[in-house]
Amino acid sequence: MLHVIVCIKQVPMVSELPWDPKTGTLKRETAQGMMDPSARRALEAALQIKADPASGPVRITAVSMGPPMAEEVLYEARALGADQGVLLTDPCMAGADTCMTAMILGTFIRNHCPDTGLILCGAMSSDSETAQVGPQLAEDLDIPAIGYARRLELADGGIRVERHVDDFLEVMEMDLPGLVTMDHADESDRYTPRYVALGGVEKAFAAGGIQVMDGAALGLDKEFNALRSSPTKIMDVYSPVTQKEGRVLTGAVKKMVDTLFDDYGKIISSAMGKDLKTHDHDEDI
Amino acid sequence: MDFNPCMKHQLIRKTVKEFAENEIRHRAAEMDQGPGFPQDLLEKMKPLHYFGLQTPTHLGGAGLDTISYAIVVEEISRVSAALGLCITVHNSVGIYPILRFGTREQQRQFVPPMAAGESIGAFCLTEANAGSDAGGVETVARKTDHGFVLNGTKIFVTNGGICGTILVFAVSDTDPSQSSVFIVENHTPGFSVGEIEDLCGMRANPVASLFFEDCAIPADHCLGKVGQGLKIGLTALDTGRIGIAAQALGIAQAAFEESVAYAKSRQQFKQPISRFQTIQNYLADMAVQIDASRLLLYRAAALKDKGRPFSAEAAMAKLHCSTTARMVTNLAVQIHGGYGYSKEYDVERYFRDAKVTEIYEGTSEIQRMVIARDILTRPV
Repeated sequence: MLHVIVCIKQVPMVSELPWDPKTGTLKRETAQGMMDPSARRALEAALQIKADPASGPVRITAVSMGPPMAEEVLYEARALGADQGVLLTDPCMAGADTCMTAMILGTFIRNHCPDTGLILCGAMSSDSETAQVGPQLAEDLDIPAIGYARRLELADGGIRVERHVDDFLEVMEMDLPGLVTMDHADESDRYTPRYVALGGVEKAFAAGGIQVMDGAALGLDKEFNALRSSPTKIMDVYSPVTQKEGRVLTGAVKKMVDTLFDDYGKIISSAMGKDLKTHDHDEDI
Repeated sequence: MDFNPCMKHQLIRKTVKEFAENEIRHRAAEMDQGPGFPQDLLEKMKPLHYFGLQTPTHLGGAGLDTISYAIVVEEISRVSAALGLCITVHNSVGIYPILRFGTREQQRQFVPPMAAGESIGAFCLTEANAGSDAGGVETVARKTDHGFVLNGTKIFVTNGGICGTILVFAVSDTDPSQSSVFIVENHTPGFSVGEIEDLCGMRANPVASLFFEDCAIPADHCLGKVGQGLKIGLTALDTGRIGIAAQALGIAQAAFEESVAYAKSRQQFKQPISRFQTIQNYLADMAVQIDASRLLLYRAAALKDKGRPFSAEAAMAKLHCSTTARMVTNLAVQIHGGYGYSKEYDVERYFRDAKVTEIYEGTSEIQRMVIARDILTRPV
């Protein structure tokens, strides 16, 4: 039996992102949540491994660390076909950076899922785009990891992973237990997430509640405080203000061209990739 | 009293919205051009249980409650009311009467292919001389040694052009006061489909006349018991009302969203028209009516889920949601001005689609009769 753990983050729904322009921060308490798109691809990969008869018996556990409302994405994961959903939630976990998130997920896997064979994560979440949690979780568990996978295949007790790096296709093999993060979609994508079937939602809720674990149940230290323990401190979050201004040049053509070259020559040169000063105008005529 | 939907219903809404936005929205205007739905779209919907919403899982459905069912119809209708119509009619007046009145054998035989979307359901009561008055039905069922022979013509049958399993309301040839509902499959000799109606709205739905000429069906194709026609018909329509209310609400919601977005972006007199009090009043009126509609609809659905009487509440929901749809789509066109009258903008389609919600599955006048009867028969 291969036990696959899929790490799922609930992210704010992009289309309904309430932004507080005064503080420049996201109003998370009113934001509708959704399953992080790249985590959903990771779940899709797990579901395809499970559906493949060659994989043998596979069990999928979806786990998320987040506020109580993150339960919803775990029900969604169950509706899609995960066997189990586990929510790690506790006020002491609030404010966790990627390092502490990985440590908390790692504690869950080490203490409660010793039979884990494969851990799948999205490469990076849509709301913070750090791409750190997956690799940090592998470090925490001291297991190998491959990032930005495009294709997975179980092979000889391990896993074969394809990934694109620049213009190359890399094919790698890794022993299990191991961790793989899933790249974003490409054109010939085999992991486009399936739609949730309505009967799946009904079944997910009929099957009983999501398993919820707090810090104590997880085995975290009583004094643990994720915000204090996080090495990353966010100093400020704001929307960058960009000003776009047009400038109208007037007067004789020669004067306008000279002004253009004097004031913007360097910018134009770098955009064109050649030095305008050495350009011979006669060639163009 | 909690007005917040539970997590399951929130997830149902998100699920349907995602599908509707990704797969239906960009095709809705094109679908409106001609009758019929793209086959590939229907194929995508089949495994997701859109054709077996409230069908129990052992018959191949999703086993949803009525609140979830209403959410599904509302969200599909928010992008394509004609497709929402197909779904609601198929599930409510197509499948539901078989689940409620059918024998175990009838359920086993007819429901799984319907729930899988392989056989689309239709319910036909309306005739040239019978609509609100079911007593005017002239389609006749003659009892024979092997079963029944049907003769008659049904008109304005939703899903008519694509139906596979048809529930036919007919009267006995010997006693016209005795009505029954018969299950007819589209391959039955003597059954044929007339021309697709050229309608004002819901144009993607192949609404058609259906002909039954010496259409012989086995005895076990009579739904429930002989003579139960009116009871089955009224029960089906009670449930159908929730679906049509949800459909009307979806249309109103869509028109409202377009109107808010347009009012914010359309500039006149050097400012967005949303700054004008008249437009603000329109938007406020639309919002109030939509909210009231939603509360009425989901109350009726919740009552049905609890197994309590819901007939009058469903009629109130249907009456208010359809009135709201007509009023909101009218204002939406008004807010859009000339653009709203053009097919380039979706509100033109919503405006045409809304009107019929006040007519089919019981006109607004009939809903008032149902509501009044309930008021006047209540113990004081």
